[in-house]
Amino acid sequence: MSAVKQPVADITTRGGAATLWRQRAASADESRTGNLVRALWPLLGVTLVVLVAPLLAPYGSTDINPAGALQAPSGAAWFGTDELSRDVFSRVLFGLRTSWLSALAVIAVGAVIGSVIGAVAGAVGGWVDAVLMRTTDLFLAMPAPVLAIAVVAALGPSLRNTLIALAVVWWPWYARIVRGEVRRMAARPHAEAARLAGVSRARLIRKHLLPGAVAPVFVTMSLDVANLVLALASLSFIGLGAPPPAAELGAMSARATTYLLDQPWVSVAPGVAVAVLALAGTVIGDRANRRIREGAAR
Amino acid sequence: MKPPAPILDVRDLRVTFSGRGGRINALRGMSLQIQPGEVVGLVGESGSGKSVLGLTALGLLAAASDPQVTGSVQLDGFEMVGASPEGARQRRGTAIGAVFQDPMGSLNPVMKIGRQVAESAGGASDEEVAAMLEATGIRGPAAVARCFPHELSGGMRQRVMIAMALARHPKLIIADEPTTALDVTVQAKVLDLLATTARERGVALLLVTHDLGVAARICDRIAVAYAGRIVEQGTTEEILDGPRHPYALGLLASRPRLDGAVRGGLLPTLPGSAPDPTSSVVGCAFASRCPAADGACLTPVPEAHEDGRLVACHHPGELTTWPDRAAQVIKAAVAESAADGLAARKAGDPRTPAVVATGLVREFDGRRSGMLGRRGPALRAVGGIDLTVPAGGSVAIVGESGSGKSTLLRMIVGLLEPTEGTVRLAPGPSPQMVFQDAGASLTPWMSVGEHLAERLAAVGMPKREHAAAIDRALHAVGLPVDAAARRPAQLSGGQRQRAAIARAIVVPPPLIACDEPVSALDVSLAAQVLNLLCDLRQQLGLALLFVTHDLAAARAVADEVVVMQGGLVIERAPTDQLFTAPSHDYTRELIAAVPEAVAA
Amino acid sequence: MTRLFLNRALAMVAVLFGLAVAVFVLQVVIPTDPARAMVGSNAPEEVVAQARADLGYDQPIPAQFAAYLGRITRGDLQHSLHTHNPVSDDLGRFAPATIELGFYAALIAGALGLGLGLLLVGGGLVGRVARVVLVGWAAVPAFLTGMLLIVVFYSWLHVLPGSGRVDDDLLLPDGPTGLLTVDALLTGQFALLGNLISHLVLPAVTLALLPAVAIARTLHASLEQVMGEDYIRTARSKGLRERTVLLRHALRNAAGPTLTMAGLLVGLMLGGVVVVEQIFSWPGLGLYVTQSIAYSDFPAITGTTLALGAAYVVINFWVDVAQAVADPRLRSA
Repeated sequence: MSAVKQPVADITTRGGAATLWRQRAASADESRTGNLVRALWPLLGVTLVVLVAPLLAPYGSTDINPAGALQAPSGAAWFGTDELSRDVFSRVLFGLRTSWLSALAVIAVGAVIGSVIGAVAGAVGGWVDAVLMRTTDLFLAMPAPVLAIAVVAALGPSLRNTLIALAVVWWPWYARIVRGEVRRMAARPHAEAARLAGVSRARLIRKHLLPGAVAPVFVTMSLDVANLVLALASLSFIGLGAPPPAAELGAMSARATTYLLDQPWVSVAPGVAVAVLALAGTVIGDRANRRIREGAAR
Repeated sequence: MKPPAPILDVRDLRVTFSGRGGRINALRGMSLQIQPGEVVGLVGESGSGKSVLGLTALGLLAAASDPQVTGSVQLDGFEMVGASPEGARQRRGTAIGAVFQDPMGSLNPVMKIGRQVAESAGGASDEEVAAMLEATGIRGPAAVARCFPHELSGGMRQRVMIAMALARHPKLIIADEPTTALDVTVQAKVLDLLATTARERGVALLLVTHDLGVAARICDRIAVAYAGRIVEQGTTEEILDGPRHPYALGLLASRPRLDGAVRGGLLPTLPGSAPDPTSSVVGCAFASRCPAADGACLTPVPEAHEDGRLVACHHPGELTTWPDRAAQVIKAAVAESAADGLAARKAGDPRTPAVVATGLVREFDGRRSGMLGRRGPALRAVGGIDLTVPAGGSVAIVGESGSGKSTLLRMIVGLLEPTEGTVRLAPGPSPQMVFQDAGASLTPWMSVGEHLAERLAAVGMPKREHAAAIDRALHAVGLPVDAAARRPAQLSGGQRQRAAIARAIVVPPPLIACDEPVSALDVSLAAQVLNLLCDLRQQLGLALLFVTHDLAAARAVADEVVVMQGGLVIERAPTDQLFTAPSHDYTRELIAAVPEAVAA
Repeated sequence: MTRLFLNRALAMVAVLFGLAVAVFVLQVVIPTDPARAMVGSNAPEEVVAQARADLGYDQPIPAQFAAYLGRITRGDLQHSLHTHNPVSDDLGRFAPATIELGFYAALIAGALGLGLGLLLVGGGLVGRVARVVLVGWAAVPAFLTGMLLIVVFYSWLHVLPGSGRVDDDLLLPDGPTGLLTVDALLTGQFALLGNLISHLVLPAVTLALLPAVAIARTLHASLEQVMGEDYIRTARSKGLRERTVLLRHALRNAAGPTLTMAGLLVGLMLGGVVVVEQIFSWPGLGLYVTQSIAYSDFPAITGTTLALGAAYVVINFWVDVAQAVADPRLRSA
């Protein structure tokens, strides 16, 4: 379509043009969000799987498998049984659900808190920006795992406290990303053009600056799932998760290290489950990353 | 007498890349010969494939884009097409040297200049390095050798690049837009340096550029590329005197001229756009845009034939002047839209100047180095300037980078607070601005229609009237109505600038400020945009304040020109007077440095 | 350069102060009463009140904070509730084992990361395989790696020990540093050195793997980006060998992001150390902190947090300085 070949638009078509551009603009928007959704639906898929998984477990998370304690994997107990005769396979299925949902919860909380702080810092600027970002930098300059350990240890080990601790050390990344994107957008001529066009400050932030941060935040979120699955498992492994007898993958692995040499499956099976879950997160994250970046380029 | 074997012999070169939406035909059968010691200009707009030729000759096509090359490139008798990576590598540096566009990006930022030069020579002593640098006109070469690239100016960096390209005495240098990133006075010096060193040492030079003027300044011979082929080549005089290929003619005609032969709104333009690089071309690639085209042009591809020189056209020389049809069409569209109510919102009282700025000063805080550092001294970007733009007038501010011209403009439109001084604007809608990078001046995720509607809402126009107003504005700038639904990324570069202009004039303000509005555009598109701005000014009674480094563009659009240097006004005068009788040395230097494409 | 150094040093002090504040806040919000925890749950109310006064917890918060700052700058980290030693003494006892483990793990991570990163850039079949392996590797939690290594190399192959720093029947070297391998080397006990190293292999590798993968991926990503820069094209146009282009021109330019990542990874390793020491019964700070958690030994936990946090901040300060040395543009800023 060339602008100059037919510069004189047919006047008779003008009446319909108004609805035409509204429709097209809407579809342009849809394709953007559509792209995000398409990139992230596998996350939803895994979520459904882990939600359904415990329903398929042959035993409850604390039920006794009549096969006995510390049995090797067999038809009666696919991943064997642990020292208390519980079915490892069933417990892994429950553990997967906890791990995955916890990871998503931390990401959601971290992303929301971080995005709000980052958006406020980036959009308001001035001393508000300085205070918020120095605080953020301070958090980022401290070793996250150590801080998380200290927070859980202080509040007392429990799943809730672990999630709080991880959210505390996770939000600064999002704050920095969102703030950076907002500042980057604000520095582009398009923000100045909008100001000159008489756009209100609120609308400028909402329509011209913030949407630029959406894709990077979603990319980061999708890439973070695997990180959080691993972080949660590690904290759980060193005793900072739900207390027993909850079926948590890290804790299951840790408690069974005593039997590692003779009955390795009891600790290895939950570890492998963590790896599988993290791998799923990595693959989905990489894919979403590629898709969203391609979409942004288009 | 048989001519000596060419140093570069390109025959029927075809290169395709993988790209979105299919393979991109970068070169579609390009042929070009360069004799030893010859200085040849390869001129073309973006998409002409001019840079691909240089990279193919160097064997440096990016592997990531999966290039497929057929045809032949003989470099000093060595076939580069299909050569082993090792074979090609050995030719680089020794047989062929290269100078690229961006001298900042083209030098390794973490390596000292001296080491980079020595490396080009395959190892050299400090004295040898200093001698090589000195040969390119660098003073204090020993000190420069100890610098890192970011410590040098753009011109110096490009001299270093030239020293590196010459280091191993190659027989051919490929200079790809070597001066595009430089200021006009520096550009002139670097071009002259390239030409004189090439001639003194008998090195052949292939100067790849989008600017006919740059090529005309130093080249013996000029080849004009279009859609991956050479459409015309001849001596520089022949090309400037009267191109025989319609595209070359149009390209030459659409350049704004320093002599003021063509005034605002009347620049000849090339309608349409280059063929889609992903599709194959049957017949003449230029036929759809050519005023002289007829049925004969549809098939086959015109072969370059010797007619004293090479012209790949079915009707060579038939066209001698370029018709300004397209310009007329735009003018009609603008007039029509203006009559249709676009101008109903009056741009203002013709007696009140669009803007009166008095005593404008802008200082920037010196940079503070870290928490402990003291602030450096305040930087005075604009040092006290009075400026008046009459209602409906057109004033151009010209200057090189760092002259403060953009800072002045931003203070006038209100994007920047002046440190001192006042800006008094005419009553009416606030001034709007057209930016250099049109793509960046549009919000990527908003459609063109949304951009315009937003502006209409800001002045309180009821929603139901938006659609008609948007249509009128798009029509006036020559965009199809369905452009309203497109996002910026779905438009071409020229279309994006039109969309940005449409937003600026959808509610006609008394003043439109333009910051280098055409310097990112190809020549033919630039002419269209310049015409459009002039027409809009006339029809809608807007005043234009036009910041540019391009003196020719300033001459084409402005009634009055203000020359700035170092934050101060050096000279101001009515346009014709400034160009015919400049009173200040710096103005004379600027004018002399402009590469002109006018036959002597 | 001096100014940059001072600036970074000042920033480091600010972060250290922030760390101290964060730990103090933790102490304030802690749900358990530290005085009660110290004297035991059966102690009468007056004893608890006395302990509270002794510890200064009856003072207003600002006064507590001032006293706390004074204490930690003197190096007084209170007494452990479990070992009843001053926490600083405990840290001094456990730190060398962790430093030794961390040092070797960092060496392995750096070398492995660099090698893998360059391998990935090389592309081809090897590069593609390496990329898949790395993606998989990044998903394996350290505790699983550790357990698998123990099962394979200790339980099945019997080639490497699976726990502790040294065989029980060997006497530890009585050296000046507390870093056993160094002490053994200094005192010329080479058999002992071999035993020490064999104990180090599995935990150090376990600790190094995840950081190595992260280094490799960062290096690869930034090398990919750098290889597309104009100055690489210039280097190639000079006729340099591809290897020279990569090692001389690209690698140094890609070092910045990789160094930053390496600094951040120290944090990851500090977390990993807790896990790895638990698996391999490595008597370092990680094991100390795990035990402290089990005993709700809050002074020990906060003390270790301060020590590890400070180590991290100081290491990252040096990483910053290293980066400035590598990049002349930062140096002159």
